Amino acid sequence: MSQLYFEDIAPDDELEPQDQLPTEDKAVEFFGRDNPTNPAFGDAEAGRRMGFGGALVPGLLKLSWITNYVGNWAGPEANLRSVRVAFRRPDIAGKPLTIAGRVVDKRQEDGCNIVELEVVTLAEDQPTVRGNVQVEVPSRS
Amino acid sequence: MADVTESKITDEHRAMLGQKSDPIEVVPRTADAQRMRDLLGDSDPRWADGTGVAPPYILAMLEPRLPPELSPQVLSSGILTQTEWKFSQPIKLEEPLQAVTQLIDVRDRLGGRYGYSVLVMFQTSYLTGDGEEAAASLRTITQFDRPQS
Repeated sequence: MSQLYFEDIAPDDELEPQDQLPTEDKAVEFFGRDNPTNPAFGDAEAGRRMGFGGALVPGLLKLSWITNYVGNWAGPEANLRSVRVAFRRPDIAGKPLTIAGRVVDKRQEDGCNIVELEVVTLAEDQPTVRGNVQVEVPSRS
Repeated sequence: MADVTESKITDEHRAMLGQKSDPIEVVPRTADAQRMRDLLGDSDPRWADGTGVAPPYILAMLEPRLPPELSPQVLSSGILTQTEWKFSQPIKLEEPLQAVTQLIDVRDRLGGRYGYSVLVMFQTSYLTGDGEEAAASLRTITQFDRPQS
């Protein structure tokens, strides 16, 4: 893991996209196999009965991927302040996702170096989750 | 879908605004943190084994069910459409937190993919033993009536 510093970051910087392949197994493992959760996460037929094309990818798994994605980009000395996502379309297990991000603002606020990012998950090039992340990063000085 | 011109949110629904649930004790478990880190391929040293610190996404395991007495049921169906996590301090593994949930907004939404819908927003605060907020989550449920088939 490398570290980014406030001085290294500029608006419109793009994060390297990351591919993920959500599966029913990952969804069940994410919450723990002994932990009851929405049956549509682990069972494609249950997802179809609910009107989707297969097993649903849990929103909290996608939110966690996004959290980890930005954390990896910013580095271990950064602090995640907030992550807000809107679930725009359901994702179906077995269909690949790409996570992408872009810096939209940087500023100093109360002595802290704040970076704002927009993040999106894409399935077949269509956004399924849109998010905004605020992270505090260190300065070189 | 029938056009709706009047709000279906009643005074009874609005009376739930601002009310807080009883605290629920939640514990960020080491086993959950390990499993989630492994699944996500997270090698961040801040919450590696032995640090006693939970990765931020441990909140996914802590979110309590929405309390029915604070959940206005305006329309028949609902789906989670937004989530926000806010972090004030590191979350420590195996240290209990008190989760307190409150209804913070209920509003009409005209148009959109669901037609007339109602946005219901909850905030859950995770408080340390000292009463300080370690993290918070905001959840927005979009309520809608399923079209007659």
